[in-house]
Amino acid sequence: MTAFVIAAIVMLAALVPAGVTLVRGELADSVVGYEFISTVIVMVLALLAEGFGRPGLFEFPVILAVLLFGGGLVFVRALERWL
Amino acid sequence: MIREVVTDVLLGLAALTVVLSSIGIAVMPGAAAKLHYVTPAAVVAPVLVTLAVFVREGLDSNTGMTFIALLFLVAVSPFLSHATIRAIRARSENDLGDPLPRLVPGKPSSGER
Repeated sequence: MTAFVIAAIVMLAALVPAGVTLVRGELADSVVGYEFISTVIVMVLALLAEGFGRPGLFEFPVILAVLLFGGGLVFVRALERWL
Repeated sequence: MIREVVTDVLLGLAALTVVLSSIGIAVMPGAAAKLHYVTPAAVVAPVLVTLAVFVREGLDSNTGMTFIALLFLVAVSPFLSHATIRAIRARSENDLGDPLPRLVPGKPSSGER
């Protein structure tokens, strides 16, 4: 198990407090928790791709990083206008 | 040997940044205060991860893909944070003058006082 995999596991474990905030917090808190978790997941995917030596998996963090922006904006606009 | 040590240190710092940010999000009161702790995880940690991949791999395709993903992450994070805090402010004060139809009966849309 390389340092990259260990770092990915630590980051996944670190999502628990933010996940609790996402589940139990108010709506605005949940959006913040969602942004944090999706940001960290991008790094976790890159770390796992490097840790397992699978160059093809590096496409996932790139795609997620692009989708993160659009998805986050959709959430905050809905939060601002309708929720 | 030196490369491994540097990689481990960079990854350790990145993981520590994410852990502390997550704790900050869980502990701080209010969404605006919590939002401050998204920034280190979205700006500092990706740079450290990219550096770690670069130190281990050198200039190759893996480093390039990681750089693209994490550069995009760093670039869009401030915009997303700005939009989020704007939405939070609109929800709390309803002062942005946004005359949109209300979808939830009885709940004023943003812009209505």
